[in-house]
Amino acid sequence: MSGVGRDENTGPTKNAKTAKNAENSRLCALSGLCVHRRAAPPRLARWLLERALPPGVRGDAIRGDLLEELRARSRSAARARSWYARQALSLSVRYAWDRARRRTQSDNTKRSPMFLESIWQDLRYAVRSYAKAPTFTIIMLTTLALGIGASTAIFSMVDGILLRPLPFADPDRLIWVNEVNPKGNTMSVSWPNFLDWRARVHAFDGLAAGRTNPFTLTGRDQARRVDGRRVTANFFDILGVRPSLGRNFTQADDRIGAEPVALVSDAFWRRELSGDRAAIGQRLILDARAFTVVGVLPIGFRYVRDTDVFVAMGPFAGDPMLLERGNHAGYFALGRLKRGLTIEAAARELEAIENDLGLQYPQTNSGIAVHLERLSSRIVNTVRQTLLVLFGAVGFLLLIACVNVANLLIARGAARQHELAVRAALGGGRLRIASQLLVESSLASAAGGLVGVGVAAALLRTLVAMAPEGTPRLDDVRLDPSALLFAFAAAAACGIIFGAFPAMQASGVSGQHVVVRGRSGGASARSHRLRRGLMVAEVALALVLLTGAGLMIRTVLQLTHVDTGFRADHLLTMQVSFRGERWTDAKRVAFLDEVFARVRALPGVANAAAVLSLPIDGSQWNSVFVAEGQPVPERRELLPSAAMTPVTAGYFETMGMRLVRGRLFTVADGAQSSRVVVINEMLARRMWPGEDPLGKRLKQGWPETPGTWREVVGIVADVKVDGLSELTPLQVYIPFPQSPTSDLAFVVRTDVDPASLQPAVEAAVHVLDRDLPVFSVRTMDRVLEASIARERMAVLVLMVFAIVALTLASVGLYGVVAHGVTERTHEIGVRIALGAERRHVLGLVVRQGLSMAVLGTAIGVAGAITLSRWIEGLLFGVTATDPATIVAVVAMLLTVALVACYVPAWRATRVDPTQALRAE
Amino acid sequence: MPPAYLGEFEQLLLLAVLRVGSDAFAPDVARELEARAGRSVSRGHLYTSLDRLEDKGLLRWKVAAGTAVRDGLPRRAYTVTPAGVAALRASRDVLQRMWHGLDGLLKEPSR
Repeated sequence: MSGVGRDENTGPTKNAKTAKNAENSRLCALSGLCVHRRAAPPRLARWLLERALPPGVRGDAIRGDLLEELRARSRSAARARSWYARQALSLSVRYAWDRARRRTQSDNTKRSPMFLESIWQDLRYAVRSYAKAPTFTIIMLTTLALGIGASTAIFSMVDGILLRPLPFADPDRLIWVNEVNPKGNTMSVSWPNFLDWRARVHAFDGLAAGRTNPFTLTGRDQARRVDGRRVTANFFDILGVRPSLGRNFTQADDRIGAEPVALVSDAFWRRELSGDRAAIGQRLILDARAFTVVGVLPIGFRYVRDTDVFVAMGPFAGDPMLLERGNHAGYFALGRLKRGLTIEAAARELEAIENDLGLQYPQTNSGIAVHLERLSSRIVNTVRQTLLVLFGAVGFLLLIACVNVANLLIARGAARQHELAVRAALGGGRLRIASQLLVESSLASAAGGLVGVGVAAALLRTLVAMAPEGTPRLDDVRLDPSALLFAFAAAAACGIIFGAFPAMQASGVSGQHVVVRGRSGGASARSHRLRRGLMVAEVALALVLLTGAGLMIRTVLQLTHVDTGFRADHLLTMQVSFRGERWTDAKRVAFLDEVFARVRALPGVANAAAVLSLPIDGSQWNSVFVAEGQPVPERRELLPSAAMTPVTAGYFETMGMRLVRGRLFTVADGAQSSRVVVINEMLARRMWPGEDPLGKRLKQGWPETPGTWREVVGIVADVKVDGLSELTPLQVYIPFPQSPTSDLAFVVRTDVDPASLQPAVEAAVHVLDRDLPVFSVRTMDRVLEASIARERMAVLVLMVFAIVALTLASVGLYGVVAHGVTERTHEIGVRIALGAERRHVLGLVVRQGLSMAVLGTAIGVAGAITLSRWIEGLLFGVTATDPATIVAVVAMLLTVALVACYVPAWRATRVDPTQALRAE
Repeated sequence: MPPAYLGEFEQLLLLAVLRVGSDAFAPDVARELEARAGRSVSRGHLYTSLDRLEDKGLLRWKVAAGTAVRDGLPRRAYTVTPAGVAALRASRDVLQRMWHGLDGLLKEPSR
C-alpha cells in the first residue's frame, strides 16, 4: 500500500471537522451572503461524477477540489458550470478507461487486450468514416437527437408526475377517501360520517381528515392571504412526516375547545418568522383567531401543493354546522392501509360501514357511497390523460426517428458494400466486420443520445414553463437518471437494431462476388425493398401524429370560439375574503358600497361589481332548490341543483351579460326589500318550459327545510360557469345584500388596459381597510386562457412533434427517392438516349416515390382511426375521426411528399445521357 | 532498485508538486503547471496521472479536512516520496548527459 493516511487514521477529527464545515456552509447558504455559493455544479455532471469516480475519500476529494475550483470561477457562473461539466466528462472517461485497463491487466488473459485494442481501433475508424461524410452524419445525429431528446423530455414529465412515488413513507399504502352522492358525483366527506368510519374501520392503521382552508394572516405589516389546511391531529403520522422543529399535533389538539395550534411549512417559517427557533410558541393571527405555532415541517414537505400553515381541528370541532351529518363541508379522508391489505378489501369494509350508516340515518345517508383511490393517482388525475397522449405521441416520434436512422444506415451500408467486400477479401473476418459496423452504429447512437440529452433539457424547461397552472408535482419533474437511462436505452436500441441490418448484409456477402460486382454500385434489391417498406411505415407514423395535432388544433380553435355569454376583454378580477367576527353582514354590504363608489370614480374604470364565483372559474356554491308549482320528486337525489351566485348591483352590466326578460338587480334590492332572484335561460327552460318564469318563486335548500321563497324578476343569457368545455349549469343569481357571503371576486370593467388599474383598485380597498387581503388578481382574458392551458400545451407539443415527424418523413422520402435516382442514373441515361421525354422520366420517378407515400398514408389513416379513442377525452367540439381534419392532414402530407419526390425527380431529368454512359 | 522511469508529464507533475511545497493540493498543482509550464491540463488527466504516480510509489497523500467552500468534502495533500525525488534526479541526469556537448548546436538563433 502506498499513500500514508487513509480514512482510518483520520477518523474522529476528520468527521467532526467535516460536520462542522457542513454546518458552516449550511449557515452560509441560509444567510445568502456567501459569494462562492452562487455557482452550483450542473446536476448531470454531478450525477456522472458520482458514478465514475473511485469510492471513498479519493472520489470525495476530487469532487471537493472541483467544487472549490468551480466556486473560485464565480465571475461567470455559466462559464464555470461549463468548465465543471467538461472536467466531469474528462474524469469519467479517464477513470472508466483506467478501470478497464486495470481489469484487463488483472484478468491476465490474452484475448481481452486484443479485444479492447480492436474496439479502440473500430472506434477510431468509425469517427474517421463519419467525419468523411459530414452531411450524412449531421442528418443522422439530428434525427437521433430530436427523437431521443423529445422522448426523454416527455418521459421525464411522465416519470416525475405519474411514475415516481410520492415523497412519503410507503406511499402506496396512502388511500384517499371521498363520498359519492346517489347521482354518482364526487362529494366531500361529512364530518360525522368520518368520525363513524374512524371508530369502526379496521383496514387502516389510521384515518385522518382534512380540508383546504385559506387564511387571512393579520397582525403583520400588511394583511396577507396564506394557503392553509385544517387537518386532524394524526394527519402527519399517517403521512409518516415529523416536524423538523417543535412538536407534532396530538390528540388533545383536536378536542373541542382546545387551544388553536398550527404547524408551519419550512418556507413560511423562514419567510414570515425569520427562520428563528424561537418562533415555536409564537402566535399567528389567522382569520382573526390566534394560533400558537407548535412546530415547523421539514424542508421540502409538500402535500398535494404548497401549503403555508396546517392547523389542528380543535377550534372547528365544535362547529354546529360541521356536526350536521348532511353537510359535506369540503373534508377528505386519508388513510394508511394496514400492511398486506388490498385497497379493495378496505373499500369493501368502508362500504359496509357506509351502508349501515345509510340505514341508521336514512334522511342524510341513504344512497351515499364511498370512493377509495390511491393518493398518488388521485393527485395526478387532472393531467394523466394529457401526459399519456403526449407519451404515446413521443413514442411515435421516437419510432419515426429510428426508422429514419435505419434507412440512412441501410443506404450507407449498401453504398459501402464494396469497401466491406474489399476488407473481407483481404482477410477481415465476418465477425470482425460485423463488430466494426456495430461499433459504428453504437457510436452514432451514443452521440445522438448525448446531443439528445441537451435537446431534452431545453425541451423540458419549455414544457415546465408552459404547463397549465396547478399541474401537480411539477417540482418533481427534472431530467433525472432514469430519464437518461431511458434515452440511452432508446439510443442503444436504435444502434443495435439498425446496426444489425448492414451488419447482417455485410456478413452475408461473399468477398469476391462483391469486389467484382460492387463497383457497378448496385445495392441489393433486398435492401431497397426494406428501405421502401420502412419509408411506408414512417409516412404512416407521421400521419398518425399529424392527425392528433390536427384534432387538438381544431379543439383549441373551437374552445376559443365558444360563446362565453359575457365580454371577457377589459375586465380586471381579484379575490377578497372577509374573515373574522368584525365583518358582520351589514358591514360587508356597506364596505362594498363604499369600495365600488371609489373604484368607479377612478379614471379608466367604466363599472365595478362583485360576485361569489367568477364565470369559467367554477361555481363555489351548488345547492338543491325547490321551484314553486313543480312536483317535488320522491327521491331526493332527483331534486334539481343550481349554482347559487350572489352578485352586487351592476354585476350583469359590468360583465356585459345579456338580459333576456324582466329586470336586473338595482341598489334597491337591499337586505330588507323583497326577496328576488335572476335566473339563467337554462334554468328557465328546465323548470318552467313553455311558461313565463317571471313572477314564479323558488327556494334554496331541501323541500322540508324552512327557507326563503324568492321571486324570479329577470332572466339572463347563459354564461359558461365551469370552464369553456362544460355545459352551463342551472344558475340562480341572488342580490348580495340578501345573501352576503364572505368570499367574493371583484370585477372591474375598464376603458384602458385592465392590468394597469390593479394598483389603483387595490389602493382603493386598502384605504378603507388595510387588513383585507386582495389576492388572485387576474384579467378575465387570463382566466380564460388558464382554463384551456391543458389543451394549449397538448396542441403545442403535438404540433412540434408533428412538424418534426413531417420533416423527418419528407427528408427520408427525399433520401430514398434520391438514392434510387442515383442508382438508376445509368438506366435513366439510356432511356433518355433512346428518346424518352424528360417529363416521362419525371413522372416515372415521382410516381415511384409517391406510391410509397400513398400507401403509408392509407395505413396511417387506418392507424389514426384505430387509435382515435385514446385522444377522445382531450377533444372538444370535434370527433376523434373528424373527416375534415383527416382530409386536411392527408392533403398536407401528400403535398410535402410530392415536393420531396419532385426534387430528385427533376434532377433525374437533368441526367446527361453521354455522361451517364461514360461513367460506366 | 533502479529509479523508476518517468514520462515527460510525470516529471512535470512531480516537479509541480515539489514547487507548491509540502502538502500540495491538486488544484494548486494544476495552477502551477499552467503558470510555469504553460500546460493546461484536464482534471481527468491530472487525477489519473497522480494516481499512477502513487501506484509507482513516487507520490503519497494524506487526508486534510474540507472547508465550507467545498461543502466540507475532504482534501488530499500530496507529497513527493524519496523514491519520487530519486526518479526525478535520475531523469535530470539522463537529460543533462544527453544535452552535454550540444549547446553550440542548440543555442538560440541570433536575430
